[in-house]
Amino acid sequence: MDKNVIPVGPYHPLLEEAEYFTLVVDGETVVDIDLEIGWMHRGHEFISESKTFTQSIYLVERICGICSTSHPIACVHAIEDVDNIEIPLRARYIRTLIGELERIHSHLLWLGLAGHFIGYDTLWMWAWKYREPVLQMFEIISGNRNHYGMMRVGGVAKDVDPEKVKSLLDIMDEIEKKIEMIAKAATDDPVLKSRLKGVGVLTKKDAIDFCAVGPTARASGVPIDVRKDEPNDAYDLVDFKIIVTENGDVFDKTVVRLLETFESIKICKQCLEKLKTVNGGIINNVKEISPGEGIGRYEAPRGEVFHYVRTDGTNRPVRHKVRAPSYVNIPTFKASCKGIPVADALITLAAVDPCYCCTERSLKIRDKNNEPYQLDLLKLSREKTEQLRRQMK
Amino acid sequence: MHNYDEFISLMGNKILSKIEKQKRLYFEVGNENIIEVADYLFNKLGCRLSTATATETYQGIEVLYHFSHDKTGDYYCPRVVMKDKNNPKMNSITPIVRGAEWIEREMSEMLGITFEGHPRPEPLLTGNHPQNIKVPLRKWRSNG
Repeated sequence: MDKNVIPVGPYHPLLEEAEYFTLVVDGETVVDIDLEIGWMHRGHEFISESKTFTQSIYLVERICGICSTSHPIACVHAIEDVDNIEIPLRARYIRTLIGELERIHSHLLWLGLAGHFIGYDTLWMWAWKYREPVLQMFEIISGNRNHYGMMRVGGVAKDVDPEKVKSLLDIMDEIEKKIEMIAKAATDDPVLKSRLKGVGVLTKKDAIDFCAVGPTARASGVPIDVRKDEPNDAYDLVDFKIIVTENGDVFDKTVVRLLETFESIKICKQCLEKLKTVNGGIINNVKEISPGEGIGRYEAPRGEVFHYVRTDGTNRPVRHKVRAPSYVNIPTFKASCKGIPVADALITLAAVDPCYCCTERSLKIRDKNNEPYQLDLLKLSREKTEQLRRQMK
Repeated sequence: MHNYDEFISLMGNKILSKIEKQKRLYFEVGNENIIEVADYLFNKLGCRLSTATATETYQGIEVLYHFSHDKTGDYYCPRVVMKDKNNPKMNSITPIVRGAEWIEREMSEMLGITFEGHPRPEPLLTGNHPQNIKVPLRKWRSNG
């Protein structure tokens, strides 16, 4: 049986690392997928060994542009874990607030991209439009829309101005209404449901076997979330629930992210209310870190970010290991992409929230007459949605 | 704080040394026991492999696996030390834990470790690099 190979990648401007997918197709069906990474390997672990702890935090903040505060939070947790360093209560709330705001904007960004991939450009424009106020909140709090530079060993770098808490809460209320509107429009749409339900299913067993994390695992019924499993910062002081669904398809991954956004809004509001009344310092003076080793992790929007630090009593790490959630989520494609139509490959690959601009690339395969023709995954995916829409009219 | 006593007594003399901290257990096991330990942690205890860290130290090359017990938030970190820096070899746990495939490939190319029994022992990150990169994370370059 003749099989065609569709190369996808390797350059993806959206993620911290480029990927190269090789889709092996039999007619319209994906029968195998292989992945290669390494084009964007920048040697952060090696560079970090020549930096001081504070410099390392800045370094890891630049690993990812979208979840840029998850790495610093996991990094400071790892360093603090070496000596079991406590941080002030106000700093705990600020860390949690920053982390959750990031989750909101990251999930909205993903939702917009997912909408674009399947031909729902209105969803894309809405999601990105209402992501803007979240970035404005970051600017109000930290002075930056991205790379906030807030994390420090022993606390946070900048306080939240108490006078601005009310305006931040007002923005939060406004965002909540808009996201409710988007969520209702997205989840009630019959075309969207039939387009995403049962597509790219990752079973619970596969999610456990591949050690998947974050919404990818939770949508497959694996109830893991660092915020509940090992609550640090203010996560044991705020009320929220983790969202777990059972089907493991793209629709469930969308639902998990949408509902998580509301939980994040809930957490942010609680933190902002607490920042009105909780006073005190925002950083403890940490003079030195003992020789030892520490593990720090944080539930980033895509799942658990893991940092391991080994220290020798100096102000630099001897070894600094970083593991981003995509590193364990991307290999799940091996399970979720097999047997699906090529038109569904795009949204299935996007569903774990990796980087994704390579889909705009044109690629050549041969048709039945052995003639080369152009195949655009994005076009295919959008055409399938349009076809469904016409059928449902 | 989770009580690691049951696990420690079950493993018995397979644990060569240990450091126990709040919610963290770092322990050294021999290469011959790592598969059994990984099997117990992953299949019996229901741990998830977060990742693994390979480090070059004065004593040799060491590999530290990080198993997360998500129900309690604890970490079990078995460590294997390979004293022969010129030809470090150890058993792969990928046949037991599929999620270890990428990280073992990465450790292999970064520090020159051979993972015996790995289903796909190819470079992960440097395979397409234009230069011939060898063991970039070795500090003392004992392997060239």
